[in-house]
Amino acid sequence: MAGVGVPKATRGYAFSRARPFLRVSPRARARLAVLGITAAALLFPLVNHNDADIDSAANALAFAALALGLNIVVGFAGLLDLGYAAFFAIGAYTYGVASSWQLQPAWTGFWEPFQWLDLVTRFHAAGGDVVHFQVSFWLMLPIAAAVAAFFGVLFGAPTLRLKGDYLAIVTLGFGEIVPIVARNIPSVTNGAMGLNGVAAPQFFGFDFGIDATPYYYVGVALVAFLILTSQRLKDSRIGRAWMAIREDEVAAMAMGVDRVRYKLLAFAIGAAFAGATGTFYVAKLQTATPEIFMFPVSVMILVMVVFGGIGSVWGVVVGALILQILQSWFLEDLSGWLHALGRLVGVDWLQRVELASSIELIFGLILVLMMLYRRQGLVPAARRTRTLSLDEQTVRIAPGNPLPFPPPLAGEGQGEGPLFQIADLSVRFGGLVALHSVELGVPAHSVIAVIGPNGSGKSTLFNAITGLVSIDQGTINFAGEEITRLRPHQVLERGIARTFQNIRLFPNLSVLENVMIGMHARLATGPVGAVLRLPASRGEEAAARERALQILSLFGNRLLPRADHPAASLSYANRRRTEIARALAAQPKLLLLDEPTAGMNPSETLELADQIGSLNKHGLTILLIEHKLDVVAMLADKVVVLDHGEKIAEGPPATVRRDEEVIRAYLGRSAAFV
Amino acid sequence: MNRGAPAVSGYGVLLQQVINGLSLGAMYALLALGFTLVYGILELINFAHFNVFMVSSFVGMWALQLLGISGQEQVLTGLALAGALVFAFAATMLAGGVLGVAIERLSLRPLRSVPGTAAMITTIGVSYILFNIILLTVGAGSENYPNPLPVVRWQFGEVTLELKTVLIWGVTIVLMMALNLFVNRTRLGKAMRATAQDSEAARMMGVDVDRVIVTAFFLGSALAGAAALIFGLYYNYTSFIIGYTAGLRAFTAAVLGGIGSVPGAMVGGVLIGLIESLGGQLIAVRWTDVIIFSILILVLVFVPTGLFGRAAPTKS
Amino acid sequence: MLSRRSLIIQLSTTALVGALATHARWAAAADKTVKVGINLPFTGADAHDAELIKDGALLAIDEANAQGGVGGYKIEVLLLDDGTATAGQYDPAQAATNARKMVADKGVVAAIGPQMSGSGKAMSPILSQGDLATITPSSTNPDITDPKFAGQYRPKGKPIYFRTVTTDAFQGPNMANYYADVLKVKSVYVLDDSGAYGVGIADTFQAQAEKRGIKVLGRDQLNPKETDYSTTLTKIKSLNPDALYYGGVAQAGVKVVKQASDILPKMIKGGGDGLYGAEILRGAGFPAAEGWYATIAAPNILENPEAAPVIDRFAKKYGQQPENYSITAYDAALVILDAIKRVAASGKEVTREAIRDAMQTARVKTIQGEVAFDDNGDLQNRVISVFRIVKDDKYPPDDVLHQYKYLGVAPQSS
Repeated sequence: MAGVGVPKATRGYAFSRARPFLRVSPRARARLAVLGITAAALLFPLVNHNDADIDSAANALAFAALALGLNIVVGFAGLLDLGYAAFFAIGAYTYGVASSWQLQPAWTGFWEPFQWLDLVTRFHAAGGDVVHFQVSFWLMLPIAAAVAAFFGVLFGAPTLRLKGDYLAIVTLGFGEIVPIVARNIPSVTNGAMGLNGVAAPQFFGFDFGIDATPYYYVGVALVAFLILTSQRLKDSRIGRAWMAIREDEVAAMAMGVDRVRYKLLAFAIGAAFAGATGTFYVAKLQTATPEIFMFPVSVMILVMVVFGGIGSVWGVVVGALILQILQSWFLEDLSGWLHALGRLVGVDWLQRVELASSIELIFGLILVLMMLYRRQGLVPAARRTRTLSLDEQTVRIAPGNPLPFPPPLAGEGQGEGPLFQIADLSVRFGGLVALHSVELGVPAHSVIAVIGPNGSGKSTLFNAITGLVSIDQGTINFAGEEITRLRPHQVLERGIARTFQNIRLFPNLSVLENVMIGMHARLATGPVGAVLRLPASRGEEAAARERALQILSLFGNRLLPRADHPAASLSYANRRRTEIARALAAQPKLLLLDEPTAGMNPSETLELADQIGSLNKHGLTILLIEHKLDVVAMLADKVVVLDHGEKIAEGPPATVRRDEEVIRAYLGRSAAFV
Repeated sequence: MNRGAPAVSGYGVLLQQVINGLSLGAMYALLALGFTLVYGILELINFAHFNVFMVSSFVGMWALQLLGISGQEQVLTGLALAGALVFAFAATMLAGGVLGVAIERLSLRPLRSVPGTAAMITTIGVSYILFNIILLTVGAGSENYPNPLPVVRWQFGEVTLELKTVLIWGVTIVLMMALNLFVNRTRLGKAMRATAQDSEAARMMGVDVDRVIVTAFFLGSALAGAAALIFGLYYNYTSFIIGYTAGLRAFTAAVLGGIGSVPGAMVGGVLIGLIESLGGQLIAVRWTDVIIFSILILVLVFVPTGLFGRAAPTKS
Repeated sequence: MLSRRSLIIQLSTTALVGALATHARWAAAADKTVKVGINLPFTGADAHDAELIKDGALLAIDEANAQGGVGGYKIEVLLLDDGTATAGQYDPAQAATNARKMVADKGVVAAIGPQMSGSGKAMSPILSQGDLATITPSSTNPDITDPKFAGQYRPKGKPIYFRTVTTDAFQGPNMANYYADVLKVKSVYVLDDSGAYGVGIADTFQAQAEKRGIKVLGRDQLNPKETDYSTTLTKIKSLNPDALYYGGVAQAGVKVVKQASDILPKMIKGGGDGLYGAEILRGAGFPAAEGWYATIAAPNILENPEAAPVIDRFAKKYGQQPENYSITAYDAALVILDAIKRVAASGKEVTREAIRDAMQTARVKTIQGEVAFDDNGDLQNRVISVFRIVKDDKYPPDDVLHQYKYLGVAPQSS
């Protein structure tokens, strides 16, 4: 498997003379790097006593945290959010209002338990006693995160189903609305004038005050926590589901990912990151004005994510730090040096150039150049895969292993009527009738082939079954339950998995990850389990990985050596096999295969047909769309023929073969039936 | 002085606001039209469009200044006026078109085959660049726009109609009709429509897709240029920031009407203009953006592809 | 042909002389300079105004340096930018960082700025902690010097946030008095431009107007990035107040002036010092600007004979007319120069604490009259002068001194 030591001979000349550092494995190298960075971060204020530099660094860390949050939304889940600063604002004002002198309701008995909890104090003002809110910063961090997440869900629920470009404008709108609302409700936020007297955090009696160093350390801790959370989410079932949605939403749905739920989850978690960061930022600034949270800020965070590397956790951190430090620190110094140079050589314009004010222009240029020449960002999210040796590539194909999971329906519903029944199904697209009153029964453990000329509605039939198109009329029953109006991921959960005619894999994910996404509906790890790495989650993940490898081994050594390769890099036939493996991972009772042998040569076709036959012998019911009639003859118990959306024939292959209507519709007048 | 007694009756002011809204709507419609043209062909949100608009308005200002016109006190009539306007429109539309084509050629063509948001993000970068070039050279001040139009007002009871309002509508309708004619009656227009529906098929049918795309960018940006001159003449004003809000509203209008749909852009533009003026009258101007976006979200919840947008064939 | 030996001698002599000369120059520079920090938003939308403020301050400082400095000290300027690309304008977080930078640099004895009150709120506690005083030429939010918030904005107790501009607490109300007493306005509609300054001054105007019995028919906020204000102006027309008051700066102000001349030609229209300046005259032009009232938080500059030569020098050096805040920045610089001179003259070491104390007791003759500060750091002189734009064809249309006609002092609130 990948990660196992590659033979020394192939490592290359350079390594054999490598300095000791390079002989360390990449894994250990990564760990050392992280350790080094952590040490540098912790020691920085002790080395550089300049309060302004520490303050700059703290601000940069805040933006790194924001970039991490946006990375989850844009990078992991592929949702374009152009108004991310809205959540930053919500978190900021939540803390600002809960811990300043802004709100001063009159004191009543109602507030006493809160006073006892040390959340408010009683203040003697001129007009009578009032409540002063002083909720602890540490308490507000998670609370503000939760409030922001709540607004994320509130806003996302009606809008996340929109197509990407429409979603972009709506999020932009939200990003515009929030600062406007903040400005228009001065009784709560002090409007455009800005909050006064936001309290500084206190740590066991030590008041943070104005010194930048304690804030810096809080920033480091926050960013470290968010990096950890992001990494853990990314490498978990949740992260896989997000990336599936990002790569191919339709396939993700068909593989059991509830896209609405997961989009909301991404949006909410991203919002939570921003909310917590907002609290941190405002606590340091001790004031907040609506202008801190407007559209340019949202764009800047997006620039940071893109610059650093969309989807790459460390990348966006690096991107944010570089861009922030560039504008608040480095460019001013650079301007200073240019001025000194100008004085030295007597060139006038050099002495007057102000790089800092052209920083926006520079950022625009950076953005355009990055997109044109290095789209993957500074630190790309793509993982490195071990290339196969020549031996591995030309190895003889070994046969596969039997199925790893218990055969479905063992002893269930044997011969008790059809497992799957379609009645009077009609599907219309505007004026076009794609399916008309189709009737289909699939008995358990059988193989039913659906054939017909191009455009006869075969793929539409599959789409209707799996919930990808809406049904105008008719019912579909599966294992005694009506599934007609179920959403795609629900259909998968019931036990129907499919492949697509034009192969819909997740191209940038590895083969193994593709297969593991197929298992999504059968696993249970949630975001909390993923982040905390609970033993149950870890166990489940390991078992899932094992099972995925077992499923891959079904195809012998065609897929196993390539388990870590991105799916897009596989040959056509291997991609098909991966897609089937992915469908099998969902432990289906009924497998829908849409032209599985398309594009394969005769020997590959035979091999795959064999494998399908053996799957069926292990108890899997199969509904098969095929054009290759020899495969149909070999596998099918029954053949159904569609033409122009209607069923024109049904019966065993031999009978259908001779049916005149079929011959006329499908084959033309003079073709021979193979 | 009337001591606080309303000068205009309830209906009068509403009618006046409707007229205001329609003027605004015309401008948003023109901007949205250019934006939607490009989207229809490339499925690309072009953020740079609105700063092309802003730059064109400065070009128009310089063109008029070249003719010796400055401020609003030099009024021309008859042939001189027509000549000045034709010259200015030619200048802004050409400037806009050329700028649009340059952007496409330099920064978007290399990305045409790249899936995802790369191209859109590039347009954000280009938008920044244009914005800052003007900010750093011309400055942040407000510019008094040279305006040779005579100020003519007609009073219909309580409602005032100005010549410039009529002008906006006249030019907008002419441009829309010309665009409609072009898209529906010419070969290049047909090619554009074909490319918008299926660029691969169009290419295979012999359509020069590159030429179509360049045409779309040129036309769309030229429309932005026209909108820019109209804007300057209507408000007697331009500044580096005008692309921001006008752009946001026009973008919203295009989405509301269904991005990619030409009638959608027009209807969307008018709707947004009316919402702005009536919302401001009946509620308050400081809530305008909130109202507009709330209505947008509401519409999209029920009609996810906008009022005239193309529906997706699969329920995905 | 030079022998190698003579070459070496020549090179080393040059190096030695060069080193000595440089060292001498540095040494000469090092003994008698003090640094003044200037913190303004040079990046983003406020850059234009920031440049004008900087120019005003630098005019005074450069002139002092040209005459050998003050009290034997030359002034070195440390320019800091509190605008960032991220915010697209002034950024309070960057302002806080800049405040720390100034505090950390022991050579900095005083500062000028910030331009915006939002930055001021972030900077003030840090400056207080560092005992570094700053004079702002334009930040008018009263909270920062309000004793009620002293614990927040000057934790060490002593005022460090001085102003050469009067806060909104006076400019707005005094104009309301003027509206009531002189213009006999009975009803008004109030607009602001959603910025901290605009909202502040409109709030205080409105409060005072209500107290004086003027009916406030409505209040709304304009978006300075928007262009079309016809909606709100039409609404105002339908309500038919006697007058309009606009609190805010020129970005929205220019458009208000232009469009109001179409829609509300006969109404009394006025505003704060955001409407006083060449940008309004240039941007709105005539006849639109004709008749607008504006106030400034200073006595009439034109009456001060010192004003004209300064304005001339400014125009000559920078190629444009100074705005209102260029003058207040010039005055702020004068106060600092005066403080340095007095501390040096008293024989004490020129430290930031000493400068702060000197500024507290300052009585400096400036363009806007005599500048002195009260116990909170606010300007003692609360005179609000009222002007009206009346076209004077003898002068260029953007000549601030001559197109704004001085009408008098706005009545002080009792």
